[in-house]
Amino acid sequence: MKYWEDFAVGEIIELGSHTITEAEVLAFARQFDPQPFHTDPEAARRSIFGGLIASGWHTCGLLMRLSVDANRREEAAATGSPGLDSCRWLRPVRPGDTLTGRTEVLETWPSRSKPIGFIRRRNELINQQGEVVVAVVGITMYQRRPAVAA
Amino acid sequence: MKYFEQVGDVMRFGRYEVTRDEIIEYARQFDPQPFHLDEEAAKASMFGGLIASGWHTGAMFIRMVVEHMTPVHATTGAMGFDDLKWLKPVRPGDVLSVESEIREKIESRSRPDRGTVKIESRISNQRGEVVMSLVSLVIYLRR
Repeated sequence: MKYWEDFAVGEIIELGSHTITEAEVLAFARQFDPQPFHTDPEAARRSIFGGLIASGWHTCGLLMRLSVDANRREEAAATGSPGLDSCRWLRPVRPGDTLTGRTEVLETWPSRSKPIGFIRRRNELINQQGEVVVAVVGITMYQRRPAVAA
Repeated sequence: MKYFEQVGDVMRFGRYEVTRDEIIEYARQFDPQPFHLDEEAAKASMFGGLIASGWHTGAMFIRMVVEHMTPVHATTGAMGFDDLKWLKPVRPGDVLSVESEIREKIESRSRPDRGTVKIESRISNQRGEVVMSLVSLVIYLRR
């Protein structure tokens, strides 16, 4: 298990990649963000974006998925998040883009009342051109390493 | 249409019924943690039952915004958001709605035809408890 104590400030965690399909863009947008440049390829071509783009909330979901999968690979004892400092959608995400996730540990501090610790992380998705498309700074909670009985 | 100059009132809108199936479907795709996916595992967790992914609550929020605000506001998208808080669990059967309030208006220096509006939104359940809040950075066209 990877506990709160095992994270170091400055540590970079590679989260893996996902290639987003047009079907995924359309399915998410039709359910949650039905604006023409997310749901209608023809209307999107005529929009300021010049083609279909993914909902920003969809890209955040993809970043979450890569984080959850990375936590599972590392057996990290994540217990949720109280919130986020900021999220910026920096560039459009288009069908066929391959998005690679990356996390940097910015700060760590222990809970005073519970056997958990907090980690402030900067999470990014980077496309195949090396451009950051979304950046999220947020707080994640992890379990503390259990004390070894004497 | 409401332009940059015209937004200012408190807005209350939306009604989103949260279902068990949708919580599990979202979690399978984006947030496969046991307390979002599996009722039995969720019962044994610190949440005491199935809860929606926080990002799913965000997706429900944007659905309500797109249905109620986007058609009547001259917006061209959002740059992102600040200070998002997940305050209470969202559970199957909850009915969510939104209250939004303008916090700040910033005229663009480079693009005189638009400006950024900071909008604080509180998403509440049927008991009036705020489950999530955030400050969106929305780009509005000027009149």
